[in-house]
Amino acid sequence: MSPTPACELGYKPLDGGWGWMVVFGAHISIGFAYSTPKALSIFFKEIQEDLSASYSEIAWISSIMLAVMYAGGPVSSVLVGRFGSRPIVILGGLLCGVSMVTASFGDSIIYIYLCIGVIGGCGLSLNLNASLTIISKYFLVKRPLANGLAMAGSPVFLCFLAPLNQYLLATFGWRGSLLILGGLMLNCCVAGALMRPVIQPCKPSSGTPQKMVEEQPNKPNINLKQSCIKNSKNFLDLSFFKHRGFVIYLIGNMMFIFGAYAPIVFLPAYAINQGIEEYSAAYLLSIMGFVDMFVRPGTGLVASSRWIRPRIQYFFSFAMVFNGTCHLVCPLLNSHALLVAYAVLFGIGFGMVFALIFECLMDLMGNQRFPSAVGLVTIIECFPMLLGPPAADLPHHVICYLGDVLTVSLHILYPYKADHHISLVA
Amino acid sequence: MSASWMQLFFQIFLLLVSCRHINTKTPGPTPTPLAPVSPLTTEVRSAVFKGESQTEKIELTNPVSLTLECTWAGNLNKPPNITGYWNKDGDEIENSHVTVQVENGQYNLKREFRIVNKENLGNYSCMFGNEAQIDFILTAPQIGEVRDKPVVSYTGDFTVILCKMEETKPKPLNWNWYRGNNTEKISINAQPERYEIKNEGWTTKLKIYNLSDADSGLYYCEAAYAISTTMSPVKLKVITFWEPLKPFIAILIEVIVLVAAILLYERSQSKKNSVAETGTNADHTNTLTQGENSGSEGSSSMRQRKV
Repeated sequence: MSPTPACELGYKPLDGGWGWMVVFGAHISIGFAYSTPKALSIFFKEIQEDLSASYSEIAWISSIMLAVMYAGGPVSSVLVGRFGSRPIVILGGLLCGVSMVTASFGDSIIYIYLCIGVIGGCGLSLNLNASLTIISKYFLVKRPLANGLAMAGSPVFLCFLAPLNQYLLATFGWRGSLLILGGLMLNCCVAGALMRPVIQPCKPSSGTPQKMVEEQPNKPNINLKQSCIKNSKNFLDLSFFKHRGFVIYLIGNMMFIFGAYAPIVFLPAYAINQGIEEYSAAYLLSIMGFVDMFVRPGTGLVASSRWIRPRIQYFFSFAMVFNGTCHLVCPLLNSHALLVAYAVLFGIGFGMVFALIFECLMDLMGNQRFPSAVGLVTIIECFPMLLGPPAADLPHHVICYLGDVLTVSLHILYPYKADHHISLVA
Repeated sequence: MSASWMQLFFQIFLLLVSCRHINTKTPGPTPTPLAPVSPLTTEVRSAVFKGESQTEKIELTNPVSLTLECTWAGNLNKPPNITGYWNKDGDEIENSHVTVQVENGQYNLKREFRIVNKENLGNYSCMFGNEAQIDFILTAPQIGEVRDKPVVSYTGDFTVILCKMEETKPKPLNWNWYRGNNTEKISINAQPERYEIKNEGWTTKLKIYNLSDADSGLYYCEAAYAISTTMSPVKLKVITFWEPLKPFIAILIEVIVLVAAILLYERSQSKKNSVAETGTNADHTNTLTQGENSGSEGSSSMRQRKV
């Protein structure tokens, strides 16, 4: 069924004003969503000793959390479609806080899987989807910039959480740290409070019931939303797969994600292998994160400009090509200075891709179908993300580079195809 | 009269004979007999002096007969003879002065040491006159991963303190645990429902149940080898649950205050807007339709071609 939305985007998005507060809220929300699974790894050694578990059992905590966060996408998109972003982000924040607080009392590893992994993952998935959706409602002209600023939350929070976790661990042990981390995650509720709902007045199209209502912009109206957005009833709207641009985007993304996280996992070990000392090797990832922090809003700014915005899909492909080329060059680098340069370039490439990854999906699918599309994309991305780093370990660098090369080639192709397809339809 | 003299001579003669007999029987100042010892393994360690003060670390597990050899290339003027001697822990070893001659432009100093117990371990230095020194630090295998941060746990809870010897080093014969400080160490024995010690080759775990504030402090795990032992400190900190609870409650209050503030601000804003709107309702409709028109042109939010 080709989704013809009952309501077109019949209003001009704010593109500023309260929108920037919404971006700030999304920044916090997305920041926690992406950085928490990584930042928790600081506690693993302590938890492992206390609960007498093996290292692989402990590593499952992060994997379960990431898996649930991504797999919860479709559910999250349905809820966001029905209730709007604000209640969902507040609920997500509460779930995350509760998950960490209950995990701090844990006595067995299964209990921690359930608390942090399942409940925490659910909370984060609600956060992620809702934050992205509300940005698409508040911004249009400056949407790439808003997306870049919001996605910058991930490196900023990682940079901030990592030393904080070390300090908390030394002062309060892992139980107290999880308790305090739970409290910090309740700040997602503050982020949710900032996400004032936007009412989309319905522009009646032929055949749909007329419901032109003028409301005060701040009073939420659930009935209006239900009539406007009919697609939200389906969990997994498989009609997306008929959209060629979407399919190409999905395949390209899967290939990219398969290879993207492996260099992060293996970079310190590779550097130590090349003779760099351990402290400097760990520092490489910090350099990458620091560069990432500034590149994401910068990319958003560039993508919002008059020259790039119409060709944003090409810009996205360029970012992926850049990323892949960076990794292809990596085996040739063996001195400390060159590896630092690689870390900087990697940060730039990674930041560029992630600043644009959701913006391009918004651009491709439009406001109405974006929530369901992003749910579908995240649940499918779940698999390459979990399989990527372990698979890259096997024939080491070959697979992750192969993944990158494939992504690169696919992404050069798809803007042409997607463009062609849309121009035929329109 | 001659019979008494004969008797006297005979007694003196007997006395002399018995004295000599005693003499031969008493051990006298001979060296104490060595207890029967299994033949010591021999090891040779050598170091070449490269122009800087040099330190070599040697880890020993069993008694050995260790030969330490130092080679020095000399400095600018190479005297044909130089006095070499050995130090242990800064004190000169007796009778260790040797005149060393130049061989192929180098000075060689070699000595064999019997390392059988803890006292024999330490810092051995070979000295070339007053100019060059190579230190050999002899110890039992050291525990490499020393934990600098304290183990933090809560009252009433249990905790596990772990000590690990690297598996590349020899396996300790036994592990012991102590608590105390630098001056006094009290041994810890396994007690039911209080302490539990689990030794598994290269690792040892001390599990302490029902923690209380008095349990805070330094704990030492000791790896025992045939020749000596090594200790490693671990600090335990026991805190009440109230301590992390305080920042948590502070953050909770901050979240509630911020959420309330944002929602109240929004309500006041909407009240202001509604007061303004009732006066300008007609204008509002106009702007909306205008917005729709421009919206249908290019802001379908997809494929932004015209910005």
